[in-house]
Amino acid sequence: MINPFTVFKQFGLLGINRRNACYTLARNPRRLYPLVDDKLKTKEILEAHQIPCPELYFTIKHNFELKYLRELKFLKEFVIKPARGAEGRGILVMVDKTGNEWKKASGERISIEDIEYHVSNILAGLYALGGVNDEAFIEYRVHSHVVFKSLAYQGVPDIRMVLYRGVPVMSMLRLPTKESGGRANLHQGAVGVGIDMQEGRTLGGVHHDKLIEHHPDTDMLIAGLKIPFWNDILEIAAKIYDVFPLGYLGVDFVIDQVLGPLILELNARPGLNIQLANRAGLLPRLGAVDQFGTQVESWPWDKRLETTRRLK
Amino acid sequence: MNKKVYFISAFLVVLAGAIIAAKVIYGGHNINPEVSKHLWRVKTVINITGKGERAKVRMTLPQDNIHQIIYNEHFENAEMVFYIRERPLTGNRIGFWRNELLEGSKSIQYSFSAQLKKNVYAIPPSYNIPKSPKKTYPAEMQVWVDPSTLIQSQDPAVKQHLKNAVGKERNASRAMRNIFDFVRGEVKYRSEKGSKDAKEALKKLEADCGGQARLFAALSRAAGLPSRLVGGLIMESGIKSTTHVWVENYIAGEWVPFDTVNNHFAETPANYVELYRGDYPLFKHVGLSKFQYFFVIGPERIPPVDNPWSLYVLPIHFQNFIKVLLLIPLGALVVAVFRSVIGVPTFGTFAPILLALAFQEISLFFGLLCLVGIIFLGWVFRTVLDHLKILVIPRLSLIVTLVVMLVLVMVVVFYHLGQQRILFITLFPMIIMTWTIERYSVIQIEDGTRAALRTALGTAIVAIAAYYLMGIHMLRVFLFAFPELLLVIMALLLILGRYTGIRLTEIVRFKEIFKIKR
Repeated sequence: MINPFTVFKQFGLLGINRRNACYTLARNPRRLYPLVDDKLKTKEILEAHQIPCPELYFTIKHNFELKYLRELKFLKEFVIKPARGAEGRGILVMVDKTGNEWKKASGERISIEDIEYHVSNILAGLYALGGVNDEAFIEYRVHSHVVFKSLAYQGVPDIRMVLYRGVPVMSMLRLPTKESGGRANLHQGAVGVGIDMQEGRTLGGVHHDKLIEHHPDTDMLIAGLKIPFWNDILEIAAKIYDVFPLGYLGVDFVIDQVLGPLILELNARPGLNIQLANRAGLLPRLGAVDQFGTQVESWPWDKRLETTRRLK
Repeated sequence: MNKKVYFISAFLVVLAGAIIAAKVIYGGHNINPEVSKHLWRVKTVINITGKGERAKVRMTLPQDNIHQIIYNEHFENAEMVFYIRERPLTGNRIGFWRNELLEGSKSIQYSFSAQLKKNVYAIPPSYNIPKSPKKTYPAEMQVWVDPSTLIQSQDPAVKQHLKNAVGKERNASRAMRNIFDFVRGEVKYRSEKGSKDAKEALKKLEADCGGQARLFAALSRAAGLPSRLVGGLIMESGIKSTTHVWVENYIAGEWVPFDTVNNHFAETPANYVELYRGDYPLFKHVGLSKFQYFFVIGPERIPPVDNPWSLYVLPIHFQNFIKVLLLIPLGALVVAVFRSVIGVPTFGTFAPILLALAFQEISLFFGLLCLVGIIFLGWVFRTVLDHLKILVIPRLSLIVTLVVMLVLVMVVVFYHLGQQRILFITLFPMIIMTWTIERYSVIQIEDGTRAALRTALGTAIVAIAAYYLMGIHMLRVFLFAFPELLLVIMALLLILGRYTGIRLTEIVRFKEIFKIKR
């Protein structure tokens, strides 16, 4: 009878209790959480530091501002997001406009009234962590880089990178599927793909917590894809730490076919599925970073990136 | 980090232990060992079965008096309506239990501790029995002077006998001695089978403790002394279902006790607990097909602590509220274990506790039924309201209103179907359920029906576990007697807060890892 705990120990699995007790609680200063949980605040800081992110069109912060949504009639495509939504909740993506109505990626038609209703829900805090008042914002709709065309079913794939004490330690490509409705959310059926940190090549995939090698919709082989702009992504990730000094941080990138890597959002409580996607536990890498001593956080970004290279 | 936490936890446990030890031992150096011999704990268990109609039970409850101190009373009222009334005439304190519709069986429990002492009285040797009792004693005492159905002090046979036994003796002390010796000597004691009233005891010359007591009282009243029965329990470790009756006579301004059965003249021993005064039964009940009771008696180690800050000084109804309050940290501990160690998802941390409390009010089966029904219907309402594009806050209010209307319909329907249980649904469970609908709906829309149902199931499981834990009688008694046990719960929660192990549900979630070759 295999003892699951020894298998997990060998694998170096980081469970949620340990992640909270030893990493997020220990390494993430509480005062920085609002900057990371509120996507609007994150964008303000990113833009102030000239770190690339999707362009912010405008914000709706109060109910009386709902009428400004009428301005949207000039936009063909855009994305509406709640500032404090978690796990992709409350995001509305408009990909096209015909007549007076927009279309979602699924083909569903959306009117301006639907949009006003959705935004008023956002303002009332329906999608927010904690459920209190929230703000909505409209931003540029990212067109995914062509390299993902064969692997993504609608939607925009994103790359989640986990930084520990400013050192990128693991990353995962998230591919939307038919089932996930074009969202890159693993809980809703997206595919998680591990990425080799040195070369930026994809490893195997995981779908609903099961290991897979082929995309469920397109049946393409998942492993072996080279992520474009990989070194740029690593560099931006390492530099992010100087702006948002959280010791255990998740950074979500998208790769726009014109603008290149953009930061979508940050996450102070990155999930644990990344370990299944990479077929490797986080604990050995986190421990390896700790081996470099107590000064890791204060190193310049290039020295920290070097640590990433030395992790394997 | 962990060291600090363990240290604080250990400190809390030690602190709790110290307070408990202090409570148990404190006063020990003030109380002399003589007194500690006479500490008793009595648990009264009343098992009743209803007939499907209104059921009432009443019991006289012991009180403090010159030879006993009653403390640490604890009531388990089995969801019946309960209240206490004082009877000004006798000074008795009576507990009433009532259920509008009782089907099936219930077990009521009433526990108390008593500190007793032996009381010896000296009848003033020169005191004579007053000649006209109607004029000597105040109006409220006349009831102890006049004859009653079972204490036939004006019966000619009794009066004749009084003359024989006492003759012209007017000296109280000597008269008492004569009456006592007669009843004890001439009337044979037969428990259960003996005569119960004075006249019959005199005729047959055999009686149980009630008969002897009534005869003694009859003779005393005939002699012109106010006399009353006293009922109580004799403290002996073990289980018993018989009570005891003796007599008190009002002599020279004091009620002096006499027990002819156990030969106590003008004294009560240290193992008598008085339960009631007057010729009443200890229990009365209505509307029951079965009524059975017994007492579990054992020694008590904790003296009555003269502690104005103890929870026992609070009025009984407020105590019940406190008991519920004390259960909440217990429920929180269950939630913490299920979330952190097992990894069961729930709608927030409070929901399972509140649900468990709601289940206590309306029974587990019924509560779960309501929960499922209300979630389903709430989801239907919400979908409709979504379609109408109703804003979030008015939507929640609409759901509450709809749920209330649903409850009204349910109540009327169930009433006509003969199910009276539903009449006891109060506001509290309704609020919990309505809030749960909103949480369920949000998760359902965002993470899918499976995730929402999983969380709902997890919430129900934890609520059930909390319900059972909170129902453990011993735990409730302990927590109320020693609220410092909350410190121990805090210590356990602190340790759980630093628990870094893999959650049990994570073993399932990450089971693909077993496929990966090392």
